[in-house]
Amino acid sequence: MSHNKSLRVAAAAVALAMAGTTGFAMAAQVPAGVKLAAKQELTRNTGSEPESLDPVLAESVPANTITADLFEGLTATDSFGKVMPGVAESWKQTSPTTWVFKLRKNAKWSDGSAVTASDFVYGWQRFVEPKTASPYASTYGIFIQNGKEITEGKKPASSLGVKAVDKYTLEVQTPYPVPFMPSLVANTQLAPLPKATIDKFGKDWTKPGKMVSNGAFALKDWQVNSKVVVEKNPQYWDLKNVQLAKITYLPIEDHNADVKLYESGENDWVLELPSGTYDKYKAQYPKEIRNAPFLGLRYYSLNNKDPLLKDVRVRKALSMVIDRDILAKKVTADGQAPAYSAIVAGTAGADVTSYDWAKWPMAKRVEEAKKLLAQAGVQPGTKLKFAYNTSDYHKKMAIFAASEWKSKLGLNTELESLEFKVLLKKRHDADYQIARNGWVADYNDATTFLALVQCDNDQNDNKNCNAKAEALIKQGSDTTDQAKRKQLFTQAVKMIMDDYPMIPLLQYTAPRLVKSYVGGYGKNPMDRYRGKDLYIIQH
Amino acid sequence: MWSYTFRRVLATIPTLLAVITVCYLLLHLTPGGPFDGERKVSAAVLANLQAKYHLDLPLWQQYLYYIKSLLQGDLGASFRYADWSVNDLVGKALPVSAAIGGGAIVISLFIGVALGIVAALRQNSLIDYFVMLLGNIGGAFPSFVLGPVLVMVFAIGLEWLPAGGWDDFSLRYMVLPIALLVFINISTIGRVMRGSMIEVLGSNFIRTARAKGLPMRTIVLRHALKPALMPVVSVIGPLAISSITAAVVTETVFGLPGLGKLIVNGAANRDYTLVLGLVVLVTVITVVLNLLVDLAYALLDPKIRY
Repeated sequence: MSHNKSLRVAAAAVALAMAGTTGFAMAAQVPAGVKLAAKQELTRNTGSEPESLDPVLAESVPANTITADLFEGLTATDSFGKVMPGVAESWKQTSPTTWVFKLRKNAKWSDGSAVTASDFVYGWQRFVEPKTASPYASTYGIFIQNGKEITEGKKPASSLGVKAVDKYTLEVQTPYPVPFMPSLVANTQLAPLPKATIDKFGKDWTKPGKMVSNGAFALKDWQVNSKVVVEKNPQYWDLKNVQLAKITYLPIEDHNADVKLYESGENDWVLELPSGTYDKYKAQYPKEIRNAPFLGLRYYSLNNKDPLLKDVRVRKALSMVIDRDILAKKVTADGQAPAYSAIVAGTAGADVTSYDWAKWPMAKRVEEAKKLLAQAGVQPGTKLKFAYNTSDYHKKMAIFAASEWKSKLGLNTELESLEFKVLLKKRHDADYQIARNGWVADYNDATTFLALVQCDNDQNDNKNCNAKAEALIKQGSDTTDQAKRKQLFTQAVKMIMDDYPMIPLLQYTAPRLVKSYVGGYGKNPMDRYRGKDLYIIQH
Repeated sequence: MWSYTFRRVLATIPTLLAVITVCYLLLHLTPGGPFDGERKVSAAVLANLQAKYHLDLPLWQQYLYYIKSLLQGDLGASFRYADWSVNDLVGKALPVSAAIGGGAIVISLFIGVALGIVAALRQNSLIDYFVMLLGNIGGAFPSFVLGPVLVMVFAIGLEWLPAGGWDDFSLRYMVLPIALLVFINISTIGRVMRGSMIEVLGSNFIRTARAKGLPMRTIVLRHALKPALMPVVSVIGPLAISSITAAVVTETVFGLPGLGKLIVNGAANRDYTLVLGLVVLVTVITVVLNLLVDLAYALLDPKIRY
């Protein structure tokens, strides 16, 4: 996400003592009575080959999953998504735009040297530098003072708002209040980095035998397109709470092959079940099926500049008649919940909004939608063009939506199945009418979802803009009063959603199989599970 | 023959250049770029990424830059896999594909030829029907059906072999993928061999051999085998190329880190350098195998001279 206009800090500097002190229990503690297996080894599928094991270059699920085990930032999130201390023991917001993190003195790199505040300064500067070309630089970098300008090449990396006050104190300046800072710095893109190792080996520093890392695990083996293996890092500061001795990550892309490996005992963790098999596997493996909602939204982008769709009444009619309950229960049938807002349940910083008509009987919704179309002068038989990327899952949903529009409104939909990159290009260039879309939160705050519907945001494929709502968002971003911020954001979302810029459909869940002997698997709203929190139960 | 081989190798250079140029242009014409993702990168990040991979230069300069590094044996940096060069990626995938595809071709050649001979000798007998049925199954069932069946039986049911994966050329992981490719390849080889053998056995020089009273074994092995192998040699080239470089389905079913998977992912990710590197490799393999096939003709047929 990106804030396009610079946000001023509220004049009234209110020193906040919110959030941040420690005293939490550490993660990965095995409940009393649970007997651990002698062999603490886990094999999990991460879905594809990681594009890099350099934390600042990590972008995909596999790269983020593996680097989160290899590296630890100031904070970390546990299996329930709760922010835990990482390298930082405690933190405090000392002014609306200043955060101070106190680092623990026993945090070490895998080569035994101490992790210090300057390792964070180096890592963060490297993260936003243009020559690193990190894909996430514009996503997280903008929350650090001068981060945006550095990525744009307008300022030197040394001007980044992060400073080592002393060896174990890190001070972070933000361009505007960032209340979710403790959650943000859990991302491995903001982990400390080993300067000496990177200087010595260059691009090859992420290879086994060369990599120095500070997480609970250290890199042992990396066979491209085959597996990545990590082992417990004996130098890790919280070693006593790390149970797993070894984790093997598989890059299996084919969902069926993933399940086959699981059934033959070579994989403990199916990343994603094949489309349409949830009920079958739920019945077959009742103790192993796991399915929790996470912060992700399936939606259809409506091109708000399209001649037909620029009329809000048409957009509203299209959204109203899609029966999300049937879509969730009968079509996708994998435990997802209907969505009526750009914000999904569990998101911090804003409430989930909805539409009045969501509770109406369908007949009334159809009647109203027909009226709206008539008012807009749209005749039955009008043609819609819907683009999606080739996949059974998306196809199933698209056919359902098209049949809803046809049977309830008499509109004809031409379905266009595109290769993924072609769809992305068309979506980003607004060269479409209706397009499949989806978004998974980068951090747990409403701003990650607001990006989808904000004026001129890079992530806004709908090309909608509500100036009044934008003003509210800016006001909310500037305030240090969390309740006020939440209220302003919620109000803004409601206002934007009443413009019907897009059609929210479902909140993502992660239907997967995980062996019953894998302990520590919680319901994580970010769907991130660190090896540190997992263990193998005797079986 | 040596001058023929030398001329053929020399002719590879313009072929290679033409293939690279066409592929280069096609890749750049394809909509969607290497850095288009579900999360759109900001204009600044895109500019940084393009500068890092020289995509900010005019297309002809990028092309010359690529050709220059190619001449130095450098296939460039992968756009997708930032920690590896294309040389690294190809270097790791090629031995896997060569082991699986090459192994499968050698085994299927022996089995296919043997089955073809048996079927030809016992034409229209039960053995013949059985061989043809086997061949038709291998030919009619796609590998994405046969592969999972093999997994169900041998990995999940009998638990003899792993369902997939790869572990440093460990034989256990190679058996099922090789078996799948063999099954598919013998259907072609067996049928071609059968037809060709029947034809050869009906020819005049075989009748003469029979009339001389030569035992059938000698007739088949010494006189009929060589000419009957000619059509098999013709199909073995393309079969070997597809088994080594394009066994995408087999690699997907068994999760193998081979070339086919790299090509498909490279194309899907718009990893220009990776795709080009693989195209260069596949072209070289194709040229070499075709040359070997042509040289094999000369060995099998005394009438052919280069």
